[in-house]
Amino acid sequence: MRRPIIPTAAKISQYGIHPNLLTKRMAEYPGMTSVMVKELFPDAPEVIYPSIEGDGLERIREATANALKDVDMSMIKPGQSVNVLASHHGFTLLGGQPYAAFLKMVRDEIEKRTGATDIRLRAGNGLRFRETEEYIRQYGLDVHFKGKARCIAPIDEGIPIQTEIGTLYGLKSVYDADWIVHAHNSDVREVHFHRHVDRAVKPFGMSYARIETRSTYHQNLGPRGANFTARSIFESDFVKSKFAFTAFLDMAPSGVVGVVAANDLFKLNDYLTFVGLNYYGKIMTLLGEIDECIVGLDFPCPVPYVFAAGVIYANMVGANVDLFDLDGDLPPYTWYTEAFYGKNGKPLIDDIAPVNSAIKMVIHNYAWGGYPSAFFSEQIPTIVVKKEQAELFDNDPQNLEYTKHAVISENLDTAMKFAYKTANTDKVLIFDGAIGGLNISHSLLKLLQDRAPYVSKRVDEELMPKWLRQRGISLLLSKKFNTSRF
Amino acid sequence: MKLISLKPLVNKEKCVGCGICSKVCPAATIRLEGRKAIVNEEFCRGCGACEQRCPVYAITMGKLEKPYTVSVSVDAVPYEEIEALCKSAHMHPEQIICYCTTTRAEEVAAAVLTGAKTPEEISRRTGIRMGCKVECIQPILRILKAAGIDPVRPDGYQWYGVTPTLWDISPEIKEKYKTSGFYFDEDIKILEKVIKAKGSRGDR
Repeated sequence: MRRPIIPTAAKISQYGIHPNLLTKRMAEYPGMTSVMVKELFPDAPEVIYPSIEGDGLERIREATANALKDVDMSMIKPGQSVNVLASHHGFTLLGGQPYAAFLKMVRDEIEKRTGATDIRLRAGNGLRFRETEEYIRQYGLDVHFKGKARCIAPIDEGIPIQTEIGTLYGLKSVYDADWIVHAHNSDVREVHFHRHVDRAVKPFGMSYARIETRSTYHQNLGPRGANFTARSIFESDFVKSKFAFTAFLDMAPSGVVGVVAANDLFKLNDYLTFVGLNYYGKIMTLLGEIDECIVGLDFPCPVPYVFAAGVIYANMVGANVDLFDLDGDLPPYTWYTEAFYGKNGKPLIDDIAPVNSAIKMVIHNYAWGGYPSAFFSEQIPTIVVKKEQAELFDNDPQNLEYTKHAVISENLDTAMKFAYKTANTDKVLIFDGAIGGLNISHSLLKLLQDRAPYVSKRVDEELMPKWLRQRGISLLLSKKFNTSRF
Repeated sequence: MKLISLKPLVNKEKCVGCGICSKVCPAATIRLEGRKAIVNEEFCRGCGACEQRCPVYAITMGKLEKPYTVSVSVDAVPYEEIEALCKSAHMHPEQIICYCTTTRAEEVAAAVLTGAKTPEEISRRTGIRMGCKVECIQPILRILKAAGIDPVRPDGYQWYGVTPTLWDISPEIKEKYKTSGFYFDEDIKILEKVIKAKGSRGDR
């Protein structure tokens, strides 16, 4: 049996407990093993990161420079200013170094190719307004951008943007340069929110946007129309007049596949939609095959964002349905769904799917606050390890109710003992950011190995054609993407 | 209803009087006096926006000695009026509109029907918008708009304006994007179904 993969290290952050308090990781617990994505799905793409060559980051830098060779930067003149736009989630991928290396290379290529030197980093955030401030320091981005790296938040000063559906609002600091460069990643992440429609455009309605726009996304445009907010902003004359080009870390559950870049974001969007479905569809569908398990949260991120083989916990909560299937309206977890639970604790309408009943218990060994997470502990039995972690949540304005629905354990050992006894299963799935694979119990390994071939065939023959058709991507185009990368 | 358990503590030595804290406070409770931030604790609801955006780290959040709750009772006005206002804003009264505080549309409607005229006033009375400070601004503005109230913007970045909803998407736009994966009409159907649902009052 393979030993567990080393989990992503804890980080010093105001949003999580100090790493010193994390005395034991779930992967260290007896009975745990691991499986690589490539073993489950032999057709998973080859990756450039992680790599056996050095720290692997040189390959990220090379891929970034190569991808940018075909991009036209002639619109940027010496003396003009450029905002390189980044998002917090990129720094949670594979330890964060690949995204940081990619951003630095984007900056350097712009300077080399155009002669412009006023190149700023604008790093957007979700609901933790100082998160990218921490990353900017941690990865030396403030130094690399010559003191011009800024953490931006959705409550900062805004500007109105006229779109084809009406006025929406962006962050003023995003658009205060002559040109903007959209430097993102293709990790599918919140399928329950964006439904993998226009994934490449999403930050224009989120990381780069004001609260009014984000609230439009999550409250006004519906569970499948939400990401139209982002498209509306990107398609506006104002944003188009500033847009120079885009570059993406091309992500898969097993690592970084490469870097892609283009002047036409929507051309890239089709490619990223295809590879997102192709790379992530199988592992997400496989996790939906799990009949029962104890889930471990053990990663430096808020509760819904902890990772296992590129899949976030929020997607496991909804893995009892096909989240990519647009015929399904309300996923088991999304904010529209959460909104529709009435005062009696039941959904207001009958056709709201319950959360994934295969998750018998959750052990919250290490996950951050800074995201409203009470829905998860209310719906699924949860053990929070250590009183310090519980106190962190009790003092988090977004999570005052989280521990009201949870029990607190002194340490991981007692939590595991309690979970095994009461959940009545020995299958364990750990969301700890294990790079390239999954940390799991021996018992769960067998189930995944047994089901993977069936899932692979079903996705290839049944689900992929449907998912692509629903998004207006022709099979012809998808075949082109299959044989030659963007 | 919201439990208020935290309050901002301003370090006057560090405060440079930039005023950003007052511009981002969702309850508009911070003012500058002598280029120092002063918090009106009576109306502060402990969201921490000031602490998160202070550029010189002059604000920390401390625990209140005596935590308290704020709420507006839905019994303060006839429930039919609450239902009508929520329906006009395309919401079910029991719909949660603030995921951090679990504030439901009915409580905000009750606040508006009993006199609240701005998002800041609604926040002070119900505690809504005191968690993430982000996601619930549109439902608040939609309920105010449905009540015929055009709120006056504060002199900061608290909010800028109401934005479009599904019901504002034109047939031309629906036609233009009909093959792109946006299911506007289907989403309207599911949201209308929620709006018409009985809710727990109907269960009784």
